Amino acid sequence: MMKKVYFYATCLGTAAMQETILNAIKLLRREGVEVIFKKNQTCCSQPSFNSGYFKESKRVALYNVDLFEKDYPIVVPSGSCAGMMSHDYLELFKEDSEFERVKEFSSRVTELSQYLDEVLKVEYEDKGEPLKVTWHSNCHALRIQKSIEASKNLIKKLKNVELVNLEYEEECCGFGGTFAVKEPEISNAMARAKIQDIQNTGVKYLISGDGGCLLNIDGTMRKMGLDVRGLHLYDFLLKRLEGVRL
Amino acid sequence: MKAHEEIVNIKLNDTQMRENLSNAMHTLQKNRFKVIEDKFQDWQGLRNKAKQAKNNALMSLEERLVEFEKNATKNGIKVHWASSDEDACELIYEIMKENNISKILKGKSMASEEIGLNHYLEKKGLKAIETDLGEVIIQLDGEVPVHIVVPAIHKNRYEIGKTFQEKLGAELESEPEKLNAIARKYLRDEFEGLKLGLSGVNFAMSREGAFWLIENEGNGRMCTTAPDIHIALCGIEKVMESFEDAATMVHLLTPSATGQFIPTYNNIITGPRKNGDLDGPKEVHIVLFDHHRSDMLAHKDYYEALRCIRCGACMNFCPVYDKIGGHSYQTIYPGPIGEVISPNLFGMDKTGDILNFCSLCGRCSEVCPVKIPLADLIRKLRCDKVGQGENPPFGANEHNKMEAFAFSSFANLATNGNKWRFSLSKGHYFNWFVQNFKGSLPVIKKWSAFKELPQIKKDLYKEVQNIEGVIYE
Repeated sequence: MMKKVYFYATCLGTAAMQETILNAIKLLRREGVEVIFKKNQTCCSQPSFNSGYFKESKRVALYNVDLFEKDYPIVVPSGSCAGMMSHDYLELFKEDSEFERVKEFSSRVTELSQYLDEVLKVEYEDKGEPLKVTWHSNCHALRIQKSIEASKNLIKKLKNVELVNLEYEEECCGFGGTFAVKEPEISNAMARAKIQDIQNTGVKYLISGDGGCLLNIDGTMRKMGLDVRGLHLYDFLLKRLEGVRL
Repeated sequence: MKAHEEIVNIKLNDTQMRENLSNAMHTLQKNRFKVIEDKFQDWQGLRNKAKQAKNNALMSLEERLVEFEKNATKNGIKVHWASSDEDACELIYEIMKENNISKILKGKSMASEEIGLNHYLEKKGLKAIETDLGEVIIQLDGEVPVHIVVPAIHKNRYEIGKTFQEKLGAELESEPEKLNAIARKYLRDEFEGLKLGLSGVNFAMSREGAFWLIENEGNGRMCTTAPDIHIALCGIEKVMESFEDAATMVHLLTPSATGQFIPTYNNIITGPRKNGDLDGPKEVHIVLFDHHRSDMLAHKDYYEALRCIRCGACMNFCPVYDKIGGHSYQTIYPGPIGEVISPNLFGMDKTGDILNFCSLCGRCSEVCPVKIPLADLIRKLRCDKVGQGENPPFGANEHNKMEAFAFSSFANLATNGNKWRFSLSKGHYFNWFVQNFKGSLPVIKKWSAFKELPQIKKDLYKEVQNIEGVIYE
């Protein structure tokens, strides 16, 4: 039977990283998965949750629970948003009468690389030139959604790609959603430390599965005029599979 | 108190401090990983055991305290109770006055920093001298600790050599051994003829009526055994049931703090000098103080922070702490644990702004040996700060109305698919963000000062419908 999933584009993906979202959907399509795109989807409510506005966050969370009502997996191309919906929603509704309904929703949420690696067990034929890349682990994907292993597994399926680990891989890049706008100077100091770590590898491509971190790190690298580029995992994967030059 | 932005900028521009901290924190991180890997078979199991032991003590705290008082008194320890920070200072002052003492020597004690003891005594014309090497350095420089375990970790050995030269009239040195020798000579002179020593408490055992102090330099042992009178200062949450429970904690503490397997000195204090003993103080006092801990204990979430064993692992791993240093927090407890306990101990109005010093990366929760969900608690305190919590810490009265309006608008938009799609399909997201947050947040101007903004070229909704096999509904 053909697999059918809900696709959660995330607010950042919809607003600023449309290409990545389209590529993420294509990765599912090339495995023959049917993708339902709810046109009325919005945001997982992480910005308000992390800023302490729990009341507003609950409203948005329940809106999502209602919108994604059928029993399909909800595939999210972001460990951060997936972690919010699969784990943080439970925390948010811990003592709420809606807990069971939220829990059912949360149990269906998965990160795209987990879906590709663990559920579909994809096999990839790498059509790109030999390349060294390094990897940035987004904090929420690493510690909450725990999808980093799956993401790295996808890269490891590409036979011409060598993955070089960062020395301080588990350190935050300073994005942190609203943190980057509330404390821009500290955020910048954190991004600079991350970039130093990236430069120390000597690698020219940084891959990450998180749009926010990439906006932060790649945006800073561009501002600094560096020749290191940040690429989203799903853009990178599709390019390698289609043999498109970076 | 300096304005939040001002102190952040001063510290971010202190490149020497940042280099010192970054090096030191990475070393402490590596040491911790190594000792856990080399020496422990079941670190996670030990964490669970410690969490359980500490929770048991907290859930029966009243009983523990009564039992501790009974058994400590039986051992000859004089037990005092203080409710506020000032009460605790006053008690110590009274003991000094009764015994005609004008100078005390102190072992490391964050509790004494918390109650502002040095300052209190100074105002009364009395002197409190630090003996922990890090504390000595910062006292000479007129600073407060930058970290709860390693109080002078923000300074390198050249800076310390200069301090010793300027303040103690020593030769200019930079070798650690020589610097140690200078400090040792200075302290030996102070220890001579010492009448009163003050210390903190790591763990107090109610069943045994005794308390446990760990340290690395031997100054703690000097402070607790050399003088005639020893006063120990102890927050009520440090009382546990048994010696075995305390031992579990000690096993976690030093690996988490500095990556040592065991501390250099274990001082277990069971009472004053007894007949026939050759040394030890003639009087041992313990001041058990509350200072808003009971309020925390009564809170359904924040009680968890009372498990803290003051190892500092959360700050060692905090990506914000090593960029801005502990002094930026302008409260005695910096880093993630400071963000949780400072608003509870000192009031949200005085310390609430430090809740911004967190990207919620969650590494602190991951390394906390007693499993305090620090990131979750920081988020909950933000909820209290914006006025949505049920039982906020005291002083949580001022709310940011502009921000509240922005998030209420956000929720309205995010629960209306049509409006949301309209604003996003037009690439107006950032515009909306700027419009709503300006005035309450220094948003886009500062973001783009450091980063290039993304190019928004496509209308996702239109493109998605063109992909074959996508059900757009």
